[in-house]
Amino acid sequence: MSGIWVVIEERDGRASRISLEAIAAGQKLAALTGLAVNAVVIGAQTEPLAAEVAAKALGKVVRTEHPLLAAYTADGFTLALQQFIEAERPDYVVFPHTYQVRDYAPKLAARLGQVLIGDVTGFAEGPVFVRQLMQGRLNGSYRHSGNGPCFVSVQAGAFRADEAQAGTAAISDFVPAIEPAQIRTKPSERFRGAAQTVDLGSAQMIVGVGRGIKDPANIPIAQELATALGAELGASRPICDNGWLPMERQIGSSGQTISPKLYLAVGISGAIQHLVGIKGSQCVVAINKDPDAPIFEVADYGIVGDLMEVVPALTEALKAAKQ
Amino acid sequence: MLAFTATLAEPQHFSLVEKLLLVVLVAASAAAFWRRFGVVLDKILKSKKDPSFHLFPIGKRVWDFVCEVLFQTKVIRQRPLPGLAHAFVFWGFCAFVLVTLNHFAAGLGLGFLNPASFFGRFYTYFAAVFALACAVGIFGLFVRRFLVRPKWLGKKLSWESGFIAFLIFLLMVTYLASFFVADADPATRVLWWVHTLTLLTFLPIIPHTKHLHLILSPATVFLSRGGFSQIPPLVGDEDFGLIAGTDLTRLATLQAYSCVECGRCTEHCPAANTGKLLNPKEIILGLRGYLNDLGPASEEPLLGKYNAQEAAFQCTTCGACEFQCPVGIEHLPIIVGLRRGAVNTGAWEDEYGSKLFLALERGANAHGLPASERDKFIEKIGLPIFDGTQEYCLWLGCMGGYDPKGREIIADFARVMNFLGTSFGVLRKEKCCGDPVRRLGNDLVFQQLAEANLETFEQNKAKKIVSICPHCVRTIQEDWKEFGTPPQVEHHSEFLARHTDKLPKQANGETIVFHDPCYLGRYRNVYEQPRSVVALAGELVEAPRNHERSFCCGAGGGLVFLGEETGERVSHVRAAELVATGAKTVGTACPFCNSMFRDALAEKGEGAPQLLDIAQLTARGLPERGAS
Amino acid sequence: MKIIVAIKQVPERDAQVRIDAAGKWIEESGLQYALNESDAYALEEALQLKEKHGGEVVVLTAGPERVGPTIREALAKGADRAIHIDCADLGSRDALGVAKLLAAAVKPENPDLVLTGLQSDDLGQGQTGVILAELLGLPHSSLILHVEKTDTGLTVKRELEEGWFRTIELPTPAVLTIQSGGNKLRYATLMGIKRAKTKEVRTVTAAELAVDSAPVAVLERVALPQKQKSTQILPGNPKEAAAALVEKLKFEARVL
Repeated sequence: MSGIWVVIEERDGRASRISLEAIAAGQKLAALTGLAVNAVVIGAQTEPLAAEVAAKALGKVVRTEHPLLAAYTADGFTLALQQFIEAERPDYVVFPHTYQVRDYAPKLAARLGQVLIGDVTGFAEGPVFVRQLMQGRLNGSYRHSGNGPCFVSVQAGAFRADEAQAGTAAISDFVPAIEPAQIRTKPSERFRGAAQTVDLGSAQMIVGVGRGIKDPANIPIAQELATALGAELGASRPICDNGWLPMERQIGSSGQTISPKLYLAVGISGAIQHLVGIKGSQCVVAINKDPDAPIFEVADYGIVGDLMEVVPALTEALKAAKQ
Repeated sequence: MLAFTATLAEPQHFSLVEKLLLVVLVAASAAAFWRRFGVVLDKILKSKKDPSFHLFPIGKRVWDFVCEVLFQTKVIRQRPLPGLAHAFVFWGFCAFVLVTLNHFAAGLGLGFLNPASFFGRFYTYFAAVFALACAVGIFGLFVRRFLVRPKWLGKKLSWESGFIAFLIFLLMVTYLASFFVADADPATRVLWWVHTLTLLTFLPIIPHTKHLHLILSPATVFLSRGGFSQIPPLVGDEDFGLIAGTDLTRLATLQAYSCVECGRCTEHCPAANTGKLLNPKEIILGLRGYLNDLGPASEEPLLGKYNAQEAAFQCTTCGACEFQCPVGIEHLPIIVGLRRGAVNTGAWEDEYGSKLFLALERGANAHGLPASERDKFIEKIGLPIFDGTQEYCLWLGCMGGYDPKGREIIADFARVMNFLGTSFGVLRKEKCCGDPVRRLGNDLVFQQLAEANLETFEQNKAKKIVSICPHCVRTIQEDWKEFGTPPQVEHHSEFLARHTDKLPKQANGETIVFHDPCYLGRYRNVYEQPRSVVALAGELVEAPRNHERSFCCGAGGGLVFLGEETGERVSHVRAAELVATGAKTVGTACPFCNSMFRDALAEKGEGAPQLLDIAQLTARGLPERGAS
Repeated sequence: MKIIVAIKQVPERDAQVRIDAAGKWIEESGLQYALNESDAYALEEALQLKEKHGGEVVVLTAGPERVGPTIREALAKGADRAIHIDCADLGSRDALGVAKLLAAAVKPENPDLVLTGLQSDDLGQGQTGVILAELLGLPHSSLILHVEKTDTGLTVKRELEEGWFRTIELPTPAVLTIQSGGNKLRYATLMGIKRAKTKEVRTVTAAELAVDSAPVAVLERVALPQKQKSTQILPGNPKEAAAALVEKLKFEARVL
């Protein structure tokens, strides 16, 4: 069997950051198992992607190219990788845990009589793969049993892309055999949700403004923070009642329920009507000058201070980090 | 010509023609009366029975009947001047029973009351006093309806009411005038016939108008369901609430036909007073219209042409309507019944309502927050866990367990109990008592919650519960009875009131306006206990609408969990009233009232009164935190 | 349309997590169970399709006897009948093993559409539906928010990362895994529960389905994560605190 193979996913013509994290993970797994680590890129135009990935410390980079792989389909990618794996017979196949991978990797594994150990957050001796259970309240250690390749996908952020060591790899080609009739789904071009209406319910990042803002003239400060984050602007009820922000931006029991990756509560005290609206947030940050404000009870991170100073400082820090 | 004769004049001789005419007219009037009354009676009897109705214990029924019907207590107390006027009219009618019987008997030559005899003179004078009071009363009511035109009587002028007022006035006037003529006078005969014709015109009109209450309301008051906002259990597998006419029970039909359209219910309704569609009087009249047009055997939906679903879901269940009704109509079982019909069948599609039901289907509290939040709170302030050895089980509830302000109230109440040396503990697990889903009509979720909680109490052997929330107290004590035997439960104001002698008195002269919670005042009749606690902390001030007239904060009936209100916000209206008293502090005894007023008062800015629960008012007077 | 909805009963979302004596799973005594959240959305999607196009909605679930109330809840919400794969050792099978059980029960039904939730609230693997499609030889798509029936099959709306979406056309029969939030869920009603009493629940044992169950991915042990959730207050002047926050958000919370 031929070692560890990392499957690379492209984003805007380059390797996605999570793919680079998967390479870092693959390299760690290689160190753990003593196996060689390689990469496979898949698509219709894989030359630039392969060139980028070949600059990492990998043994080989294989380009699996076929015109029918131009747009992602589960059938196409599964067929291509199935043939590659049957030819190459890897010990481990490491994927980045993306929506795309979730759509085909389980199918691919099942076709080969295997099961994907998905969304892994770490490795341990064995190797044993750790993943989260019960919505993050429990960690489970998984081991692969039996013969055949072990399929693993790694969680975004579990490994650091900047830890993927540089090097040089040899690039080669693999041509899969795919017939048009084998591709049963027809994807269209991707599109954004309705831009005109404010849909806080599906926003991934939200900055919420509360009574601590004191004056509608101060709202632009929060808006700048939101822009720097790429976030939507929301508000607690009193702000909307005063007309400082439209009602559709209200977050809370009588407004919208949100479930973003990140919620920044600025000058919000944390009345229960607001708290029930934000409980689905993955990460809550609170900025308030009252250290006893109830919002701090539910926040992951908090800054006790005057928002008029903290928010601009945060905006600056975010802009600096982007560079 | 007309001279006071000191004796009631009666025509002395009626010809055979006159007697025959009288008989025919009486028969015709009675037939016309029955033609309509029989239909109404039939609709009542054809409605399905109330299986949860129990005539016994009969003591309260008799007492209520004596007070409310015979002595007109509620009629007078809640609307003094018009109430007194009405009382005179009613007492006049009562006094006139013998007079009227004698009047007709005399027409057949069988008069049994001799106006010249001692008893006759006494009785006719007695009746005359009432006749005068009645005439003045009915005249005053006429002026009120047609000149003053209070909005609670409705926009449309009721000519039928005017006509009947005229008839009653005529009856009294013809009676009184008979003291000013002699038996032999031709005028006497005229008066007699006018009086007779008036009566015989009045009789058949009764069942066609709201004056049906003359006959029905004594029965309605006597046959009440037996409790306040008494929601009957559903019966069998096909009963989902009030969906169609076939679901209306005899009590509901009787009540619908008893409505006098006085508008007292609407006058005190928080929804009707803030621009909502809901008008309790129209709910009852809508039922009546349905029964008139379609009857109790109809499958047509009750919510549709005759009543709007939107209106039914604007009710905070504050109970002002049911409390005010002088003829014994119980609005709340009807409104909740209509809601049940919509919710138990899934016909009510409301985003927030669905969210609430889904949260309670799977979770422990109405906010949809994880139960671990309550555990964290208990641990943080070090509340003891109930283990069967403590005297009280302190019920946190959804507000006490999860709402920041509710938690402050719990923390302060715990301090007070520790100061008093009362042992208590909290349950490890609580589910929502079910009040919001009970009032919104979701019997599935309510049953699940009640049964789960009853089992928890059973396992923990909790015998005495104390709670900071009147909704929990009411639901636990009354509504859970349908599914088991609830433990004894009281509100923290009742507990504190028993210990006022041991609690420090704060001499600061701070004015505190106390807001009576609906579920503590009207529902539980607890008014003075929280006041005795407030008096410890400062100077009690009453809001203009206080005690049983307290104006709802707007949270009840599950409404706090639903979306935006239309019209003015009930909480803001009440908050403005409380602020206008000029008191420095608003005192509450319910965490929902507290929550509703918090936003409303905060909008007032810097000069707003502070908002404190009675537990907080008490705790601030305790010596500084020592060993607890 | 004949739609099969595969549902799972999972521990309640805010159930207390304690490790059992063997250290291989959580302590189940005292746990409350509920219908998996994304499965509720799958059921809702199926019921809406039935309301629009007619047909039948069959719920399918594998698990021990305690899944009964969850089956009844699904029937109460409007499913027509249920198939219960009585299986006491679900936890010892991996995703492939469970999908094999489901496939064996689905095959004889010949449905037009199979829906599953995106992932379960307990294991959170998100694979069963995709594997099921492979075992049944059917086309599939995952993370679906909306399903529409067309003359040639289905048009579905799939969620992508970062606020993007994609429309996909596929033929029936097909398998879809449904993402939470696409529809407003209906609540269980008293009327539904009463009607559910007369709906068919067919039980078949895992043994009868005769699929092999030796797992490929073995859950060896479970442990509580080291870091419990607590609030980190970042000290310092606004500039320092802001910088510290950005650092935390990037590398600890990993949301930037």
